[in-house]
Amino acid sequence: MIKIQKEDFNLENEVNSIKYKYSHIGAVSTFIGYVRNVNTSKKVTSINLEVYEEMAIKSLSSICEQAKKKWNLIDSLIIHRYGDLAINEKIVLVATFAMHRKNSMEACNYIMDYLKKDAPFWKKEFYETNFSWL
Amino acid sequence: MKIKYFAWIKNITNTDTEEISSNNIIDIESLKVYLCKKYPKLEDHLLNDQLIRISVNLEYVQDNIKLTNNDEIAIFPPVSGG
Repeated sequence: MIKIQKEDFNLENEVNSIKYKYSHIGAVSTFIGYVRNVNTSKKVTSINLEVYEEMAIKSLSSICEQAKKKWNLIDSLIIHRYGDLAINEKIVLVATFAMHRKNSMEACNYIMDYLKKDAPFWKKEFYETNFSWL
Repeated sequence: MKIKYFAWIKNITNTDTEEISSNNIIDIESLKVYLCKKYPKLEDHLLNDQLIRISVNLEYVQDNIKLTNNDEIAIFPPVSGG
């Protein structure tokens, strides 16, 4: 499942909403990305995330399908937020569900690597007196 | 065809979406020529593949593929999500 949303999310609720569907899930791996207050020694005050939503859904769905086949995943979940985000807020969640931990952990890394490289999101970082696009 | 611009690209075009209709635009390269004329400040970026990504109908393209009036094209910088 892919969710592109402004709202925050609750990790336990999101994981449980999928885990409860399948009693043969033995391993869940999760990655959460947060807004940091520093980047390359610059003090960050907040960020704004822009998304090309239709393309993001299509490309992330495709990579989840690939990961599902490659690691025999039972299910997967990506939540990526957009809009204005403050320091310490969550940006992204990747959760992978498998029978065994090796599959869920490797698939989680794979999806996150792809997301960073190809998913159409853009980060604008705000500092005390200016901003920059990353 | 519909053209979408994202991140700092739309600061140069002053719009995030526009409809373009021109018989001269038949492929990616002729679209770049059209956009360089319309937005001279885009030229340096459009000619540098390291700075610009292009998608057609939600898929990345790197080759000079043919375009049709029904296509949705997006022009954007390298991504930085996650």
